[in-house]
This record gives sequence, C-alpha cells and structure tokens, in this order.
Amino acid sequence: MNTAAANPAHLVAATGISKSYSQVQALAPLDLTIHAGELVALAGPSGSGKTTLLYILGGVVQPDEGEIVIDGRPLRRMRPGKDLAALVGLVHQNYDLVPQLPVIQNVLAGMLGQWGLLRSAISLLWPRDRQRAEKVLAELGLADKVLERTSHLSGGEQQRVAIARLMVQSPRIVLADEPVSSLDPVLSEEILRLLTGIADSPGRTLVASLHSPNLIRRYFTRVIGLREGVLQFDMPSSGLTDDVLAQLYELNHRGELDRPGTGEAAAEVS
Amino acid sequence: MNLPVPAAGNSRVRSSFTRIYVYGLVLLFILSWGYVLFGGDSGLASLTSGKTWSNAGGFLRELAGIGSGATPAYLQMDQWVEKGKLAYHTLAMSVLAMIFAVAGVALTFLPAARNMGNGELGGTPSRLWTVLYYLVRGTFILTRAIPELVWALIIIFFLSPGILPGALALGLHNYGVLGKLSAEVVENLDPRPTRALRAAGSSNFQMLFYGIIPQALPQFLTYMLYRWEVVIRTTVVVGFVSAGGLGREFRLSLSFFHYSEVALIIFWYLLLVVAVDLLSAWLRRLARFD
Amino acid sequence: MASLIALEPGRRPLKFLENRHLLTLLLVGALVWSLAVVDWRGPLVHSGGGAAASDFLQALFPPELSTDFLRLCLVASWQTVSYAVAAITVAVAIGFPLGVIASGTAYTQGNLRVPAIVRLCLAGMRSIHELVWAVLFVSAVGLSPLAAILAIALPYGGILGRIYADLINDVPDPPLQALRASGASPMRVLLYGRLPMALPELVSYTFYRFECAIRAAAIMSFVGIRGLGYEIQLSLNDLLFSQVWTLMLFMVALVMVVDMWSSRLRRSLVS
Repeated sequence: MNTAAANPAHLVAATGISKSYSQVQALAPLDLTIHAGELVALAGPSGSGKTTLLYILGGVVQPDEGEIVIDGRPLRRMRPGKDLAALVGLVHQNYDLVPQLPVIQNVLAGMLGQWGLLRSAISLLWPRDRQRAEKVLAELGLADKVLERTSHLSGGEQQRVAIARLMVQSPRIVLADEPVSSLDPVLSEEILRLLTGIADSPGRTLVASLHSPNLIRRYFTRVIGLREGVLQFDMPSSGLTDDVLAQLYELNHRGELDRPGTGEAAAEVS
Repeated sequence: MNLPVPAAGNSRVRSSFTRIYVYGLVLLFILSWGYVLFGGDSGLASLTSGKTWSNAGGFLRELAGIGSGATPAYLQMDQWVEKGKLAYHTLAMSVLAMIFAVAGVALTFLPAARNMGNGELGGTPSRLWTVLYYLVRGTFILTRAIPELVWALIIIFFLSPGILPGALALGLHNYGVLGKLSAEVVENLDPRPTRALRAAGSSNFQMLFYGIIPQALPQFLTYMLYRWEVVIRTTVVVGFVSAGGLGREFRLSLSFFHYSEVALIIFWYLLLVVAVDLLSAWLRRLARFD
Repeated sequence: MASLIALEPGRRPLKFLENRHLLTLLLVGALVWSLAVVDWRGPLVHSGGGAAASDFLQALFPPELSTDFLRLCLVASWQTVSYAVAAITVAVAIGFPLGVIASGTAYTQGNLRVPAIVRLCLAGMRSIHELVWAVLFVSAVGLSPLAAILAIALPYGGILGRIYADLINDVPDPPLQALRASGASPMRVLLYGRLPMALPELVSYTFYRFECAIRAAAIMSFVGIRGLGYEIQLSLNDLLFSQVWTLMLFMVALVMVVDMWSSRLRRSLVS
C-alpha cells in the first residue's frame, strides 16, 4: 500500500499522515488511497478527526508527519491557491460565503484561481463569465437570486450557492465537511445529489463527512470510520449497517450490554 | 439568588495583578490631585473669589453684546455672511482632513492586521508581512499619540497658512486613530469566508477585494463618519494656528476684545457641529447596506 | 385607470438610487468639493519649507537625549498626566450620574422627559472642543490649572455621560429579567445587574478617554498650561527639532502605557 504513491490510478495517496493540536492527537498516522470515481463518506463522532483529515487533504492544514500525493504530484510542492484550486475544492459546514456580496460574486469566486488580479477586480463591478455563473445557478434553482445579497438567502439557498461556487471552480477532488448536518431530510438529499453529480464525470471523486447511514449507503460507494483520530473501518458502503455505525458513535467501548437489541444485529454483520 | 456579578479572578495570580492595577490607579489619583492643588498655584483662590466671578459676568454680558456701546455683531448682516463663509471653509477643511486620513488608511490598513500576516485569514505568511506590521503599527501609534494641534504647529513651518496645513494636521492624527480601528476590524473578521476564497484559488489581492473589503467596508464607513463628528469640533482649534476657517477669526476677535463677534463665531461653530452630527447619522444609516 | 398605475406582477420597481450608490455619489462629491475649496494657486509650501521639513525629519536621528533634557521631559510628562487624571476624575464625576439618569433605567415609570433633557445637556457640553472651552474660561475667569482641568472635564463629561448611558442601556436583558422576577426595584436591577455587567466596557471606555485626556492636557499649553505641549511649543519656537522629537516620543510612550494598562485591566475584569 505504501508504495502506491506513484500509481497514477490513485487520485489521492496519503501515507502516514498525522496531526496534533497542542498535545491532543487529532489524527493518528493514517494511510489512505482514493481512486478516481470513488465516492467516500467519512463517519465518526465529533472530534474524531474527520475535519482534520479533510483539511489536510485540501491543503488547508499541514500534517505533522507523512506525505500526500494528488494526481501523481506531492501536495506540499503545489502552490497554495492557483495549482491546488484546479485539483481540490472544499465546501465547509457553514458554507463560508462572503455575506455582503451579491450571489453571483460568491459564485464567480470559484474562478479566482484562473483569473488574474485585473480581471477579478473588474469583475467585481462588471461580472465576467456571467453566463457560466447564471447557468450553474439556474441548474440549482437559484436563477432569480443572481443579484441578491447573499446574506438575504436562507440556509439551504446559501448551501446551494456554495455548491455553485464549487461547480464553477470545477475541481477534480471535492471535499465536503458535514455538507448536510444542518439541513432537513429533503434538502439533504438534494445537496448530496448535487455533490455526487459534480464528482460523476470521469477522473473525479468526492470525499464528504456525514452521519446518516441511509444517506451513506444511498450516495456513497465507500465508507471510512474514524474515532479519536484512529481509523476504525474502511469498507464498501453497502456493507455498512446501522449497528456498525452505532458502535462507532458509542460514548465508550464498553460493549453491547448497555444497549438492548444490538447483539442480534451485530451477529448479523459478522 | 444568583446575581450576575462579574466572576472574581479565577486564579490568585490574576486577582493580585488586578489589585496592582487598581491600587496603581488610586495612587495615581492621589498624587495627581496633590500635585494639581498643592504643586503650584492651582487657581483655587482666584476661582473662589467674588471678583473673578463678577469679571466672568462682565465677559458673558459682552459676549451677548450688552453694554459695549457698539452694534453687536449678530445684528449686522455682513458679519453673518463673513462668518458663514468661514464656516464653509471650516467644513471643507474637515472633509479634506477626512480624505487625507482615509486615503492613508486605505493604503496601509492591511499589513496592520495581525491575522493577515500570520496566515489566519488564509493568506500566505511571510517575513515581509511581519516587518510591515510593526512598521505600520508604529506609524499609527506615533500619529495618534500626537494631538492635531501639535501636528499643526509643526506643519506650519513648512506649508503656507490656509486650509491645507490644518487639514493635513487633522488628517495625520486621524490617520493613526482610524488606522488602528480599521486594523482591528480586519482582525475581528470571520476568517472562514476568506479561507474558503483561498481554497477556491484566490491570491492575497483577490482575497482583499472579494473577502476583506466587502466584509469590513460597512464598519470602516461607520468609524469614518464617527470620526468626522470629532474632526469638525477640532477643526476650529487647528484653525487657531493654521490660519484657516473659523478658528483664526475666533482667536483674532478674542485678542481684539470683539466679544460679540466671538459669540457669532461660536454660534456658527455649533451650527456646523449639529449639522455634521445629523449628516453623519444619516450617512451611517445609508452605510448599513442591508 | 388602476391598471395603468399597477406594476406588472412579479416585477419590482427599479430603484435608481440604491443606498450604496447614493453613498458613493455623496462621498465622491465631498472629495471633489473639498479639493475645489482649497486655494491651489498660491504657493503651498513656504520658501525654505522643504528644507525645514527635511531638517525636521533629520532631527529624529538622534533625538535630544541629554540627561538634563530627559529630566525636563519626565517633569513635563508628569504635569500632563496629573492634569489629565484630575480632568478625567471630574469628567467621570459629571458624566457618571448624568449618564445613569440619561439611560432612564434608574426608576420605572419615571418622567421620560428628564433623561431626554439630560441627554440634550450632555450633547451641549460635548459639542464644544475642550480648547475652545479653555480659551473662553481664560477670558472669563483667568488662566489657572483648575480652569484648564474644568475645560477638559466639561466636554469629556458630556461624552462619557452619553457613552455610559448607551452602555448601561445595551446590557443584555435575560439576566435582568431574573432579577426583576425576584421583585428587585429598578434601582437594584441597576446596581446589581446593569452596572456590574457593563463594568468592563465602562472601564475600558473611560481608559480610552483618559488617553485622549492626556492629549487634551498637553494642548492646554495653548492657554499657557505647563506640560509636554508647552515644552514642544518652546522647542519649536527655538527650532530645536531634536528636542521636539524627544517630547513627542514621550507622548507616544504615555499613550502606549495607558493602552497596555487598559487592556490588562479589561482582561482581568472580563475573565
């Protein structure tokens, strides 16, 4: 596995990555390879290291140890910003839009990696590539919000604007940190359909953290369980049972006796 | 019952520190008043003598134009027009001062925000940012610590008297004040949107236009307008030495004992202050974009 | 007729002047206007002004550092600080009670006119700059340190009162409701709820005003009060620019000390 770094079939190859924040281990040394076309779900209780792993893969946080190779190139040798933006895109839990700007400017921010300074400055006053942004927004059902101030939108609409930005940026690896944690079920499905849609074309992949076993089974091909920074399981999502997940989220490892009914289900899995 | 009193220092070290600062304040208070009252002639004797207050009464009567024989200034149309013109110049001086200050701040506020240099906002940290940080912060402190009047005293050594040196002096001091405030606005920004911009591939400058300025602008404008209210009050004082607007006339009228003119000047001055306060309040409402 | 006036459904009326456009227009207008008022035709710089400016800047390297002069700077700093302390204490003594009354929180169904009148008084006090007060006082009651202190304390009392009133009003309500529910009178809510909760902000704003009072005390040199400003004026008259720099650096040091003191005290009050 460790020699996989040079294998071009692996879109992402991480070897021995770990991270600690002031003596607390956020991520234990971890090896991970992701192929193009895979849809990977990260599961685990809060503080399990999901966000840290996503940030490391996105180049936002530097790992203490280990190396990441993306599409055959070491991550640490890529220029932050420009190079990376074409390869990796990140959607955060709280959308992270600039609330004061009109929707279209937040969407066009996905182009900043390709635009020069002059072009992006002009675009603030007279938006460039307007059709592209409008087309994406129309696909997401936001055609009538193009010039609206972003802070006036509802949470679900803002989430879709963040996805529109990602679609305009069009990276090969989409990383999503709890994209549906604060949304109702209908909206959650819609967002996941959109995200997996971006990763649908060849040579792309999606890595997202979420908690619902149903959604994981329905929209993802592979699921990785993390707990206190340590890998618990890595399996096809079809093999994920509610019980495996429940065990992952249990407050401590004291076993099944505390909860009635788990013994049966656990037997089913094994 | 649970009374919401502030929690006492949670460690002994902290509370003893607090005590030192508080005792220091008390000591400073005692020493200062001791010095003011007993360190020399405080003026207490003269302030409590009846003669001083009858003089003060005379001064007030002359301000009102009573008993001096001549026609008081507020009954002469040409006086009104003349002082009004000076008020107009004073207003221009205050606006020009704000423009100097804001232009300076616009060029330098970014490196003065600590979260810009250390990469917290998503920018690339570098040695240059750190050097600029200390340089600009140092300039802010220097220009802010020196009062406008002292800057004016210095500037009239180089510039011809008029509106310009006064505006420059006011601008210099307010550059330091607004610079500090603006840097703090940036330091208190939510770093997540700019980090997201970074992840979408933006450079430092693109981050400025797309992330920092849109988020910080309403607050910048609010501070600017608040500062303008202070500046209009100070413009008259700077005019004492820079020879522009109402200030110079105020000083001349006082030294020639034209007290009813002084009253007229104060009236125009108050009019300016009230007008600017109202205008600023209205503009601040406009600046709240949402 | 009505159909002529009615707007097409789903179409909002065009706003020709959105707020931000109006604001931009006004700010650009102000820029052009103020530049136009300046008389650009006359010589802007004195003959020899450029040389004087470069002399002034060069005098910083190094500033005057002789022991005698540094001692003089220390004495002048002390004079300025002590006047500032005296002025700010009077200002607090004026501003605090007036601020509490202006906040309108001290009594329940009290007369709403009283806070309004007090607010107006506060506005009147702060609309005149301290040096203008000082010049007027000198004409009225003669030159003395106490007159200068009073001249600073009047507008500062006005500012402090207004800010105190706002801070006392802006305290979040839920903790106060608990107090009210237990039957506390408005005065008690003020004493045990509002004031303790607003304390860190009250203290840090007062400190900020103290920093301003140091500058105000320094420029009282203009009416003949001793201190840093006075020495700066003397040195400027003698064209001793390196002394001016030393005195200015003392002012900078004072401001930095007050800044630090304020943030330390604030931090220990908040935690």
